[in-house]
Amino acid sequence: MNIKNLDLTIDEISMLQLGDSFFPTGMYTTSSGLEALFYNKRIKSKEQISEFISVCLKYQLGPADCTALSNSHKAAQSSDLKTIIEIDDLLFSMKLVKEIREASTRSGTQLLNCVLSFINETPTSENIYNKDNNSSKSVISSYFDAIKSKDAHGVYPIALGLASNVLNITRERACMLLLYGFTVSIVGAALRLGMFPHFEGQQIIHSLKPVILEVIKKNIDRAHSKMWQFSPGIDILQISHERMDSKMFIT
Amino acid sequence: MNHKRIPRIGIGGPVGSGKTMLIEQFVPLLSQKGYKTAIISNDVVSKIDADRMRKNLASERGLLPESLVIGLATGGCPHTAVREDPSMNISVVEEIEAKHNTDLDLIIIESGGDNITTTFSPALADYFIYIIDVSSGDKYPRKRGLGIENCDLLVINKIDIAPYIGADLKVMENDAKVVRKNKPYVFVNCKTGQGVQEVAEHIIKDVLFEEPPKTVINKTA
Repeated sequence: MNIKNLDLTIDEISMLQLGDSFFPTGMYTTSSGLEALFYNKRIKSKEQISEFISVCLKYQLGPADCTALSNSHKAAQSSDLKTIIEIDDLLFSMKLVKEIREASTRSGTQLLNCVLSFINETPTSENIYNKDNNSSKSVISSYFDAIKSKDAHGVYPIALGLASNVLNITRERACMLLLYGFTVSIVGAALRLGMFPHFEGQQIIHSLKPVILEVIKKNIDRAHSKMWQFSPGIDILQISHERMDSKMFIT
Repeated sequence: MNHKRIPRIGIGGPVGSGKTMLIEQFVPLLSQKGYKTAIISNDVVSKIDADRMRKNLASERGLLPESLVIGLATGGCPHTAVREDPSMNISVVEEIEAKHNTDLDLIIIESGGDNITTTFSPALADYFIYIIDVSSGDKYPRKRGLGIENCDLLVINKIDIAPYIGADLKVMENDAKVVRKNKPYVFVNCKTGQGVQEVAEHIIKDVLFEEPPKTVINKTA
């Protein structure tokens, strides 16, 4: 997979592609409850936003989404669709808020739809999607079929796990994509709500890098049977967002 | 997804140009001919438009089920939601298609109010109506923009107020012809319904290809 004379791989570009906010998953329409916090005047400062994201990462995304992604990535390597569907169902059941569940399954389904549209079109003679990876291709297709037949939900972390696997992005990096993508989407939402200027957004992202790494370390090797999430305050807030009359964001 | 694609119209235009009212006017005309529609309304900040159409078209007149008027938030990015990343809209469309493939003839996607560069992703909409209104001045079509130039049908609304603001409809018509290279345009007054029949006829001819409504086809099959 190495390009001659360059210590870079196509896989790394694939990682940039999936991690880019330009990649079409509709994540820019979500704020994960930040909008409700903002309009209730319960969050104002840059530090409070950083703390909000940090709590979401440590107590929601880390032990639930990140673990689910990691295990589904692993299961995809052995084409274990049964386990993938089991994790998908488990994670779906842990998303307590309807808006969040729907947004996650819509993003996940569209992510798969998009990746499936290009993985069969090998763009260079480098043979990016190596011949041994046919099983990865088929497990991602089978999972997509299971969503269509309503045997799976298609939650975003599982979709990202399978897409990362088929694009040869490691489990660790896939977890990083998930948590970094979430962080950026919340900071983006805050910017569009006019909560702070653009440089401060980047400062928040920078300050959360150690948190992202710490959350990955704690959750990447957790068994899916040990997944959990506990942030009742944020759950209630996210439910209150569902009832807002006037809103810019889906969640 | 595998469902047969139901024809989709995208409707874009600036805030207040009359997108919602245009839908409220042509849906009853299509309904009279037996065509069944669903509406997805992308609001920028509120769900006022979706709520209004649900009340006016579904609850009060029963022209479509209340569940088929769906409001969608766009994260403050109405352009993106219908062009660069229409994921959420496409997901909702596919959910509708999965449930109503045998009886629904048309899905209408209203974009959030935006500016003249709006266009729809071809992956989302098969036909694009762009609506502007006379109150913005009779030089509006001349200013071009992707929406005005590229749409399949340009609708110019609020023609009744032209004399009061000194707008010359002839100027708008001439410019629309030049800018759009003779692609169709229609002058309407969505308050009274003037000109809307012509919009409905374009939809039946260019989007539905004059096929009978699905419910009619199903009955005779």
